[in-house]
Amino acid sequence: MSILPEAAKQYVGMKSEQEPGCEPVERGAVRRYAQAIMDENPVYSEPDAAARYGGAVAPPIFPMHMFRRPFGTPDPLQEHARDPDFDGLGAPRGLPEIEPLKGLSLLNGGSEIEFYRYARHGETVTQQSRYASITEKQTSKGPIVLVVIESEYRNGDGELLIKARRTHIRR
Amino acid sequence: MAASESPCFEEIEIGTTLPRLEKGPFTTAHLMRWSAAMENWHRIHYDQPFTLAHEKLPGLLINGSLKQQFVVQLLKDWAGPNGWVWKVSFQFRAMNLVGETLWVWARVTGKRPGPGYGLVDLDIGIVNDKGIESTPGKATVAVPYRGGKPVPYPFVPPGINAP
Repeated sequence: MSILPEAAKQYVGMKSEQEPGCEPVERGAVRRYAQAIMDENPVYSEPDAAARYGGAVAPPIFPMHMFRRPFGTPDPLQEHARDPDFDGLGAPRGLPEIEPLKGLSLLNGGSEIEFYRYARHGETVTQQSRYASITEKQTSKGPIVLVVIESEYRNGDGELLIKARRTHIRR
Repeated sequence: MAASESPCFEEIEIGTTLPRLEKGPFTTAHLMRWSAAMENWHRIHYDQPFTLAHEKLPGLLINGSLKQQFVVQLLKDWAGPNGWVWKVSFQFRAMNLVGETLWVWARVTGKRPGPGYGLVDLDIGIVNDKGIESTPGKATVAVPYRGGKPVPYPFVPPGINAP
């Protein structure tokens, strides 16, 4: 049995705009993030410790988490406050939601990440993503859909920070 | 290894295992702290009734987005300030639940010369206190040659001429 509607495959190749994060890299956001990942490396707070990188930086994967809900956009928590089935996830930034897969749950299947430079405190970061592939796979627990999203993250000068290839499992 | 050190290419032996990085045990507060830091409100990380009854999962899940940080931390701290973690890939094969302790590991599987620096290939993963592997993957780390210059920053991958 297939759970992948033909209409979903039309999303392959769709690309987002090159969109900026809600804010530049903020010192406070970096502190909360570094404490949450339990890696309080001095390069995340002290410019001297991070002189090789041109100043204090954010942890390596931080740029991938800068694309949150911008001011003035609909609040998914309030929109779904009376929906007992709401899983807490809002629509992802940038790429359109794959409407034909809307009823399927989402699990993080894994990633490939290439690092080129850190994001420094105060720098803006942009993200551009595309749906690289949407395929179905049969597993011992039934069919799953694999959605692969490729993204590039750049600083305000357009310099490449990170390339990522993420796999979402939908079932 | 002190943060001021980086291993040099010549001294790294294939088969070497890096010192493991221990994280946890993870409480719901750890997961809430991470969810708040990244503003991700997926209920499977903090809403136990929803997670068990609605999503039919065995417990609150440690975020994959959090686990990946630990893999990069282990490699980055090993590479030191003169090295660079170039590539990391991993699959989330098994769930890790609240209450578990995680050990991040890496083992050198290969070495190749690069332009002005050496490249080290590693297998990586995360095992829990039951010995179950949840996050198998691979990584490539750039390290300086003995007595050589630090790996260039920003990183210039092999095959691309330095600007």
